[in-house]
Amino acid sequence: MTALTLALVIPWAAGIVLALLDGRRALVGWLAVAVLVANLTALVVLAVEVLPDGSVGGTTGNWPAGVGITLRADALGIVFAVLSSLALVAATAHEVLEGVRDRVFPGLVVLLAAGLSGVFVTGDVFDFYVFFELSMAAAYILATYGGTRRELGAALVFTTVNLLGTFLFLLSVAGLYHVTGTLNMAGAAARVADVDPNAAILIAVGFFAAFSVKLGLFPFHFWLPTVYTGARPAVAAILSGGVANIGAYGLLRFGGELLPDELALASTALIVIGSASIIYGGVLAVSRRTSSEMLAYSAVGQVGYVLVAIGIGGPVGFAAAILYSVINSLNKTLLFLTVEMRGAIVGAVFALGALSVAGVPPAGGFVGKLELFRAAIGDPAVLALFLLGSALSFVYVFQIYQFDFWRGERTGSLSRRPQQALVAVVALVVLATGLWPEPLLALSHDAAAVLARAAG
Amino acid sequence: MKLAFALAAATIFGTGAYLLLHRDLVRVVLGVVLISQAAVLTLIASGLTRGVAPIYPLTERSMSDPLSQGMALTAIVIGLAVTAFLLVLVLKVVGAFESREIDEVAEDEAEHDAALERRHALEHEEEEAAAR
Repeated sequence: MTALTLALVIPWAAGIVLALLDGRRALVGWLAVAVLVANLTALVVLAVEVLPDGSVGGTTGNWPAGVGITLRADALGIVFAVLSSLALVAATAHEVLEGVRDRVFPGLVVLLAAGLSGVFVTGDVFDFYVFFELSMAAAYILATYGGTRRELGAALVFTTVNLLGTFLFLLSVAGLYHVTGTLNMAGAAARVADVDPNAAILIAVGFFAAFSVKLGLFPFHFWLPTVYTGARPAVAAILSGGVANIGAYGLLRFGGELLPDELALASTALIVIGSASIIYGGVLAVSRRTSSEMLAYSAVGQVGYVLVAIGIGGPVGFAAAILYSVINSLNKTLLFLTVEMRGAIVGAVFALGALSVAGVPPAGGFVGKLELFRAAIGDPAVLALFLLGSALSFVYVFQIYQFDFWRGERTGSLSRRPQQALVAVVALVVLATGLWPEPLLALSHDAAAVLARAAG
Repeated sequence: MKLAFALAAATIFGTGAYLLLHRDLVRVVLGVVLISQAAVLTLIASGLTRGVAPIYPLTERSMSDPLSQGMALTAIVIGLAVTAFLLVLVLKVVGAFESREIDEVAEDEAEHDAALERRHALEHEEEEAAAR
């Protein structure tokens, strides 16, 4: 419980202090990185306590159970919490090395870390909304970071669309409370089986739309390319590597644990929407010639795989969805950070990230694709789709690699060495997940087992 | 009572959705505000019970549900904060684009894309010419 409390309190308290300081000074920036590392450490300690199949939790303020807000860290939540924290650390260190341009940037990233940690360890549906809104509010302001017309226009679109998604989520929370009479996730999951199926399906659709907007799935993706190309690279990395995890986690938690019957019912629909996302993202990414645009459409395509795996369901499908979310988030963090960089090893780092997106060994993406194929083994149509999607992703990433590094279309000044070393470290993490995949595989299976236990 | 709440929430949500699709940015903000109010109404309606005030120690059995009131209050506060932020954002956008219409923002985006496209097309032609 100590690690759980620290993981929430450290970034929250430090974020308020940092928001008052002038973030453009390097010292404040490094302070923010230190706080994020402390948050990551607390989460890793928590993960060691929780894994492989335990859970740490309690009620805030020592209220009796059923009255206070419950916190609950289990394998599923902690995987996403550690992952998001890792992306935030990498992106913030990258931006501090580049030179922060806005005084609120470090404070906001730390507050975002507080919100994200909270989202992944809460056991209460309404508390989920509060932490969700805390992290989204920080993300809305981060989207304006840079302050030129492009960023402001992108932030306006991002804020409006995501607020709509948030209120859809709130409507579904109200519906869930009305039909189950509890806000506790475990309690609601136990009671939802007795609920009128029509009401449950409506609630499930609301949750699905809210999280799909967050994730940027095909029919809900329209805000995503503007924002990811308009925002600064570090912010794009934070949004796609950190904030988008809320969507994947929400679909797994609310679909897999709270509304498993509705998820099974919608299985085909999810696979169809996921497939549309894969094809749409892939085809549009092929037609792009700048790396940020290509990555934005690639993000739409890659989350399609996660949705298809969730649609397939069962322990194997959920494990594949979790593993692919982790690897996709690492890929996107790495690639978005390199978008405006030039230098000796940037090409190699980009190539490694590209291999990972395309699913070629030895990069981590290969393991992710392998698990996806394993989950879809019984369905030839889905297998063919995965093959087509992989071929498209191979074309679009290496086409951009060719433009940017072989023909030297990438402009800008040479990046400094510490910054290059930082992306090289992130690249090594991606490489390590491919060379030694056992820990990550075990982790994803533990996390999927949480959902299997909840389903009984 | 539930029906009244449902009708009110539906009307407010519909009006909000209509305003959200407007070109004027201030109306878009108003649309978001209305939709947030529809969500608050739904939260209140989700726990409609008639009874005494739920103050400890509980004297009577039938008390009104305090949880939905608490949720509604929290949602109102969060809604207020994001509305304030959204208004500031619109103010900055109006300052940067010198327009209150969302079309102008979209046009700027389209111009940027078109310029990029032209540059790439030009490069492509040059390459073709060099190859010939």
